[in-house]
Amino acid sequence: MIFVAVDIGGTFTDLIGFDDATGSFTQAKSLTTPAELSRGIINCLRESGVAPAAIDELIHGSTIAINTLIERKGAKTGLVVTRGTRDVYIIGRGNRPESYNLFFHRHQPLVSRRLTLEVDERLLSSGEVYRPLKRASVTAACKALKAAGVEAVAVCFLHSYANPEHERTAGATIRKAMPGVYLSLSHDILREYREFERISTTVVNAYIGPKVGGYVKDLKSSLGGIGFKGDLSIMRSNGGVMTPEVATERPVAMMESGPVGGIIASARVGQKLGFGNVISFDMGGTTAKASLIRDGEPTLAPGYYVGGYASGHPVMLPMIDVVEVGAGGGSIAWLDDVGALKVGPQSAGADPGPICYRGGGTEPTITDANVVLGRLDPDNFLGGTMKLDAKGALRGVTGKIAKPLKLDPVAAAQAIVDISINRMSLAVREVSVAKGYDPRDFALVASGGAGPLHVCAIARELYIPKVIVPLFPSHFSALGMLLADERHDFTRTVYSDLASVDFAHLAGIHDEMVKEAKASLRHSRDANFQIQLDLRYMGQEFTLSVPVDLAQIKKADRKAIRSAFDALYEHRYAHHSPDEPVEMVNMRLGAIGKRPTLTFPSLSPSGSATPSGQRAAYFSSAAKPLTANVYRRDGLGAGAQISGPALIQEHGTTTVLFEHDTCRVAESGELIITVGGAR
Amino acid sequence: MKLDTVTLEVIRNALPAVANEMAADLQRTSYNMMIYEVRDYCTALLDTQGELISQNVGGVSHFVADLGVLVTDGLKRYGKEGFKQGDVVITNHQAVAGQHLNNVVIYTPYFYKGELLMFMMVRAHWIDVGGQSTGFGAGPTVADPWLEGLQLDQLKIYEGGKLNDTLYRVIKDNIRFPESSLGDMKSQMAACRLAARRMDELFDKYGKDTILAAIAQIFAETEQKCRNVVSELPDGTYEAEASIDDDGVDKGKEVPIRVKITIKGSDMTIDLSGCSPERKAAINSRTFAGARVAYKALTGPLQPVNEGSFRALKVIIPEGNIMMARFPAPMSGWSAIVPTVVDTIVAALAKAMPDRVPAGHHGLLGGAVVFFGLHPKTRRRFIVQSIEGGGWGGRPFEDGVSGTVSVCQGDVRNGSIEGIELKCPVVVESRGLRQDSCGAGKYRGGLGIDLRVRNLVEGKWNFEQTRRGKCPPWGAWGGTPGEPGGYLLKRPGEREFKDMAGAHIPVALDAEAIVRTGGGGGWGDPLERASAQVAEDVAEGLISAEAARKLYGVVLRGNMSPDESETQRLRDRLRSARKRTAQAPKMGANKQAPKTGAKKPAARRKGKRR
Repeated sequence: MIFVAVDIGGTFTDLIGFDDATGSFTQAKSLTTPAELSRGIINCLRESGVAPAAIDELIHGSTIAINTLIERKGAKTGLVVTRGTRDVYIIGRGNRPESYNLFFHRHQPLVSRRLTLEVDERLLSSGEVYRPLKRASVTAACKALKAAGVEAVAVCFLHSYANPEHERTAGATIRKAMPGVYLSLSHDILREYREFERISTTVVNAYIGPKVGGYVKDLKSSLGGIGFKGDLSIMRSNGGVMTPEVATERPVAMMESGPVGGIIASARVGQKLGFGNVISFDMGGTTAKASLIRDGEPTLAPGYYVGGYASGHPVMLPMIDVVEVGAGGGSIAWLDDVGALKVGPQSAGADPGPICYRGGGTEPTITDANVVLGRLDPDNFLGGTMKLDAKGALRGVTGKIAKPLKLDPVAAAQAIVDISINRMSLAVREVSVAKGYDPRDFALVASGGAGPLHVCAIARELYIPKVIVPLFPSHFSALGMLLADERHDFTRTVYSDLASVDFAHLAGIHDEMVKEAKASLRHSRDANFQIQLDLRYMGQEFTLSVPVDLAQIKKADRKAIRSAFDALYEHRYAHHSPDEPVEMVNMRLGAIGKRPTLTFPSLSPSGSATPSGQRAAYFSSAAKPLTANVYRRDGLGAGAQISGPALIQEHGTTTVLFEHDTCRVAESGELIITVGGAR
Repeated sequence: MKLDTVTLEVIRNALPAVANEMAADLQRTSYNMMIYEVRDYCTALLDTQGELISQNVGGVSHFVADLGVLVTDGLKRYGKEGFKQGDVVITNHQAVAGQHLNNVVIYTPYFYKGELLMFMMVRAHWIDVGGQSTGFGAGPTVADPWLEGLQLDQLKIYEGGKLNDTLYRVIKDNIRFPESSLGDMKSQMAACRLAARRMDELFDKYGKDTILAAIAQIFAETEQKCRNVVSELPDGTYEAEASIDDDGVDKGKEVPIRVKITIKGSDMTIDLSGCSPERKAAINSRTFAGARVAYKALTGPLQPVNEGSFRALKVIIPEGNIMMARFPAPMSGWSAIVPTVVDTIVAALAKAMPDRVPAGHHGLLGGAVVFFGLHPKTRRRFIVQSIEGGGWGGRPFEDGVSGTVSVCQGDVRNGSIEGIELKCPVVVESRGLRQDSCGAGKYRGGLGIDLRVRNLVEGKWNFEQTRRGKCPPWGAWGGTPGEPGGYLLKRPGEREFKDMAGAHIPVALDAEAIVRTGGGGGWGDPLERASAQVAEDVAEGLISAEAARKLYGVVLRGNMSPDESETQRLRDRLRSARKRTAQAPKMGANKQAPKTGAKKPAARRKGKRR
């Protein structure tokens, strides 16, 4: 069977294809065409040489959803809410995370106030009807929205998570009155309490719906036009894939599909090599991202803020938990007004780019510092297709950083790299130490153009003993899409004491969610369902999601659930209170449809590694350069052993091995590095 | 000691990270909404001189750098030798802490290789400390600290790792929600332990001398950054005044707030001597917060806080002042006036930095929503709590923000309607922006909020009036003031809402209360506001067509678009009417707080000071 993954990024569209009959990979890259994204995909397919008719499944990840929101190019959207709650979406939580900033900004609503209409209805938190829905008020709202020419409508009533009946009835009325508008009902998108966050998530879905839905449909038909008959799958933020039909209804689920591919790939690569616990570390041009994978499973966060916590849009759908820092190859080094050296978050990006790219950049970046240190070979960047300006890099680092700090230029370059290493280490700490995990129990999987360049230094800083540099580190996100399973997440707010919770009721909700899941799954036959209960000590607000199994629910095994919660709490916060009552807030279901497991080919054994040359470069010390062996990655066979200091070069990146680091090439081609000096 | 660039930067990043990690843990494990939503806490590391090494960012701003006095007091009490590994101190006593008793501080000594080097500290608002303290605190009418609640004066709840069981039981038996508050105490202690672990790692890695040298340098650099900002401002003395209508006890007697700021070179002095003397009402405190929050906002709002942040600032508050009150002056409403003090200081500097000073904001620590009682069915106590934001002032370049918490509160979130109703027997009938509550201006103020709550069982309300009726959120450079907030109640059977004030007001079931927050003042002359923007505000329902005409001189056509020629004519008429009454006070009867706000800046600031 032939599988193809296409990942649309800001600059490039990446394609990776795999034929499991021959074990061969195909790669292609083309410039992203923002105006006509699906044409970019077709171009990329053409370039790859894979016959569209031969493709069994095409998996696609795209930034279209997030870009539509960030660039505010979505549909004209109306919002229908419970009487009295028109301004809830504008007011939000009323908070100012930047406490001392007199010029703070809040989120910028996607729906104007005049297109937010109230209807007569009210439920109580129990789901009981306090005031019945008056259809006439819905009809009146439709009339106003229609007159205003809205293309999408979001409906969010108070307590609809407990009883969706009013939303359903209103939805039916709207559909009838406004055929052709894109409609999102909050309980379909998110069945969880907290109205502002649910409104925001639903509005985002409606706002991007027509454009993203149209794009998915358009893509499907264009692919059909060139002979593609296989399945199309869309990558989503929770690390799974979904059918185009689900994507059209819930485009908000594909919002953060970009970075997750690499995390899925890290999990799979780790597992295959016997490392169930890995930390995925992806460093590109503008940011570095870290994510924790435990027992082969990425960690999910219950929601996130598009555009940042201080003034972003809350989207409360599970997404893979990623910590991001503004440190990438293009991050600029600068001195603040008291002369302290800072790196990032400003980035030279792709344009003008680092000084050494010759694109007119004048500010020294992390990439320039690596050139000065000799770790990047100016003549061998992107396989030698792009000659780097080493002199320019040195000039930039000297003039902007070394001279004002009265440092030697090499020491200045080293300082730039070390400070960025420290900031990235803080991100890795945040996904591990801060959540109760010891990074020493994890292997670090490096990807992105700049990941392998810095990963061993980060590992040393955190005493992480093992580092893995996978195959295709700079196409890793597309590779991960080939490996992702289908995944849908469901939530229901069920508010009750654990001591008195009605387990038969829970089992009923479970069955209901399973039924819903099956309707969305393409591969529902061997589907796997994971249940979690959101629990907390009574009186607390934040919950922990505790994995439970169906048998525990059917047996009403309160004791086991309770002790699983206490244990998780102890792990996360280092204390717990076994005598205090516990309450339940939500029940969650993750439905996973297994996709075929791909077996990648192994390398032929070579036994020894032959350097392609030698180069002087600075490693642990800026005092004097060391002569290091340089290897070509594609020349390394399985079992080859390399000791640092060494540089392993490939098309999109360079792996830096420091003194005392040793590397072995796995049969499947990954570099497995034992970090010297790690405890 | 010479520090290398990288080590200094690493330590600079690590210290705030520790305080923030303490905060994140505290917040996620706490039992009361004052911590997890209102973020009414601070977490910090202090040295043995009481100097602030680092503090969390994002919570309540008026806790900025205010823990040092407790360290010096604790050391006076116990001596450096009197602290042992495993000690945990609890304190809230007003003679030194100077805040309401709900703010309970837990701190632990930190030893590295046997040497006392720091204190890990967490101040957090407990939901109740006995007396009248339930909820946000006891309010201004409580006569003294004994009525307010339990006073704890630098007591070791753990000594050398051993719990003082007697003290624990005294606390437990004298507070209303012991499971909640003692759970919070546990979280406070856990945050201190976490900080100790993180500092161990840092000291192990870099050694004591390097860390202490880095801290000293971070202080010096932070101070320099603040000086760089202040030295850009023209030297001189700047003054402004505002007032609170009364203190709630001495009815009708205004509480003056007068600030005098002197800038000389890179030094700033904020003199609050002109503010009211301490009062019989419990709105007294011992705090530099008013001055410090303002200074921080002006000198480096996005930078972490440490002792260096305030070294170039001198604050003068004489003993016996309302903000330097002497024990046992009542302090249960300690922070009520602080946002107004901050705003007045900021306003005073409008002439010095016209492009960086907005008009006045709602200035309330509320709209506090407090309704509590005993649920008749479950027999459980419940308490509805939320903090509603209000309008912020127009800015020199854009409109003010609506419905947002005060300058003394940061990442403080209102209670979600669904969350409130899941826990408490009430129906929140509406949470909405109040049309025309904003001050008019070239850049208008943000709008205030009305939150309407119906109670499904009987209970008690706390209505703590905002008392800014005579000095509402002011406009700047010709903008008009915003509308102040308040509380209204409609009992069952009544037809109209009535103004309400007071604590523990019993209310029968099915009453409705409105918690109202003020709007922000406008910035600049409303007649200069683009007519299209005014029309947009009317279309959005933020201001009425009448306000568009009267305040902005904008005439709208039937389709809501501005009629430009009619507008021009009306604006001309309004301008000449103003000239005719030029002798009269510019803003009508409203007492304009900042004297600087009355006219346009004569000239742009000249850059460097003379």
